[in-house]
Amino acid sequence: MRLVAGIDCGSGFTKAVLVAQNGSPNSSILGKGRARSGINMDAAALAALQDALRDAGLSRDQVHYVATTGFGRYGVGFRDIQITEITSGARGAHYLFPSSRCVLDVGGQSTRAITMGESGKVRTFKTNDKCAAGSGMFIVRAAKYLEIPLDDVGGLSLHATNPQPISSVCAVLAESEIINHVSAGVSVENILRGIHDSLAERAVGMLKRVGMQGEVTLIGGVALQAGMVKALQEKLGARVNVPPDCDYVCALGAALLGHKRLAMKESLAAMQPVS
Amino acid sequence: MRIAAGVDVGSTQTKAVLMAENGGKTILARALVDTGANVRKAAENAFLTACRDTGIPATDVGFVVGTGYGRYNISFGNAQLTEISCHARGAHFVCPTTRTVIDMGGQDAKAISVGSDGQVLDFVMNDKCAAGTGRFLANAADVMGIGLDEIGPLSQRSTRPVRIATVCTVFVESDILSYLAQGKKGEDIMAGVHLAIAKRTLSLARRVSIEPAITMTGGVARNIGMVRALEEVLGTKMQINPDAHFMGAIGAAVFALEKMDQSFESSTWRPEHAAGSGH
Repeated sequence: MRLVAGIDCGSGFTKAVLVAQNGSPNSSILGKGRARSGINMDAAALAALQDALRDAGLSRDQVHYVATTGFGRYGVGFRDIQITEITSGARGAHYLFPSSRCVLDVGGQSTRAITMGESGKVRTFKTNDKCAAGSGMFIVRAAKYLEIPLDDVGGLSLHATNPQPISSVCAVLAESEIINHVSAGVSVENILRGIHDSLAERAVGMLKRVGMQGEVTLIGGVALQAGMVKALQEKLGARVNVPPDCDYVCALGAALLGHKRLAMKESLAAMQPVS
Repeated sequence: MRIAAGVDVGSTQTKAVLMAENGGKTILARALVDTGANVRKAAENAFLTACRDTGIPATDVGFVVGTGYGRYNISFGNAQLTEISCHARGAHFVCPTTRTVIDMGGQDAKAISVGSDGQVLDFVMNDKCAAGTGRFLANAADVMGIGLDEIGPLSQRSTRPVRIATVCTVFVESDILSYLAQGKKGEDIMAGVHLAIAKRTLSLARRVSIEPAITMTGGVARNIGMVRALEEVLGTKMQINPDAHFMGAIGAAVFALEKMDQSFESSTWRPEHAAGSGH
């Protein structure tokens, strides 16, 4: 079997998704894998790809095309094509939720709101380009200070009874607000929910600026946190779509786009020159 | 001899200064402690350390002015003033020609326009972002794996500063990591970081009028790399006093001596509360 790999080189983690080259373009996911990004993107991409190959029970020589996305996409030497995370996020979300026209991607260092057309093509987008306000790093830092494993944050936040607002938008300045809450005896649950509320509020502002309509699909690592999903749904007053592998959506989109690109390339190559 | 104190409770460190009025005003003692989570305790520790170092009993201190973000947590303060007023006053006390103060502390950066009597004419400060603060530099030092005291001298050895496009503390961490991965030298990276912050601070300071003499205050003034980078973008030298870190507390102490003259409250105040509370 010939494979196409989509690799999303994020600021925190690098994620890889494998799809089959043959068969329909809407091939299902054969395997997925991840690795910490660190400073060597090539190594991280390879580690994530190998993790995905292990997951699929397939081997490296079956991978015929590699599409990279995410902020480190140019750092991967063995790529065939690079795609922005906006395009790949929209494409992946469209594949999973064909009726969704709006994507919110909350990652380690970036938050993006994207609107798209019926085919999953990007129409407009907004991203936090100047600072990390509203990104996952906000939660990472808070969890570190509160000495709570990142994986527990989402669940704890669900149990908040009296969320304490965080007014700072700066991931660094918010820390002192959190310290104040701790010394005032506010429970961890209420602090965490306050953080999720603050992130959700910024996200909704961004969604409004891109002109959101219809159902919103939430992707990115932060979507793993139940508390964040709840906060966002409350702020929007509507349910949001959260795919089970929400952190692999950009990698999936890259793989699907790579699949399409490879098919096009090969059909062009197969054409007989006009004699 | 009348004695008063200024206590500056900053986000990172708490500073106390004891000052005597005896014809002129003289600084008797300075004390510096980490603020930590217990702001009240930090204020007491700084104040009592300054008293202990001079052998002056806390009860001899006639008036205490608190300043800084934790000023309302000072259990023994007679009055509270903003750190803006205190930095301006402190800079004027130490360097009377001061007309502009650039204050870079643990979590804030301010530019203050100062009148000829040390009064505040105008000010701007960062309120949304930690760029240009001590926290920013501490983070950068952490990422580089070196001490906060080392980054300034290190940046001075740079010949080709790297370009740092954003000033977000979080983003700069990834910028530093990717420059390290590219094999850039530590000194060039840190020089780039200092320059980026200096430019950001300059645009902050331009919102008040920048008049000479410019005095730099706050803990970041101890960072030679930041001082030189700021002087480069300002195109002029700044007044850097060894007491830059204590400027807020010094200003508070000057105000305390004046307030002592103005009121009789000092006679009704029980300074022993200072020594006794919190235990």
